[in-house]
Amino acid sequence: MIAVQRGRIDIAAVVDSVRRQDAGAVVLFLGTVRADPGVAALDYEVYRPMAIRRMTDLVDRAKAKFGVLDVSIVHRLGRVPVGGDSVAIACSAPHRKEAFAACGWAMDEVKRIVPIWKAEAVKAPKAARRPRRSGA
Amino acid sequence: MRVRVKLFATYREIVGRRELAWPIHAGDTIGTVVDGLVVKHPGLGPFRDTMLLAVNEEFVHADVALADGDEVAIMPPVSGGIA
Repeated sequence: MIAVQRGRIDIAAVVDSVRRQDAGAVVLFLGTVRADPGVAALDYEVYRPMAIRRMTDLVDRAKAKFGVLDVSIVHRLGRVPVGGDSVAIACSAPHRKEAFAACGWAMDEVKRIVPIWKAEAVKAPKAARRPRRSGA
Repeated sequence: MRVRVKLFATYREIVGRRELAWPIHAGDTIGTVVDGLVVKHPGLGPFRDTMLLAVNEEFVHADVALADGDEVAIMPPVSGGIA
């Protein structure tokens, strides 16, 4: 499963997409939006056709490099609020060592070669409170 | 002859367009197009050396020659922010 989507990521569907009878391990990585000071959300911009092409290529390379059975990558597009999942990567392998290694490598590659950019959406400053009139 | 130029993130904001048509001449490279864009939009100048370039959805170096109708993408380093 390779996708770039505006909607919420269905984590169970991502995990299920890599399940195999010959797998003894499934590793799931979630990238989530961190509550850095002043940040309310992240806005993701994607060059979609090239992103899909690069993700497809890196899944093939992960299989060749680590011997993993299957890899799924789903990335969000548009606004993702603090605490939301921006990316999910699942890897299945006969043994956990390859699955962990491939999952970490795949995320590094996503950040290195997949054309996706993020911008911080900042919290709106609180409206100045009107002073109360005494006796009101 | 002309190419379609796609701009992303900070560069899209500087130019004010997601996509534009750009005239080319025989022998022009993607570097030629970038040079022309920087002249027209000087705000791109500081980013000249760190731009990622692609033609028809493949990363390329600046010396790659262009053909009529190519899709050129000019992109900030990936995972980078938008100013």
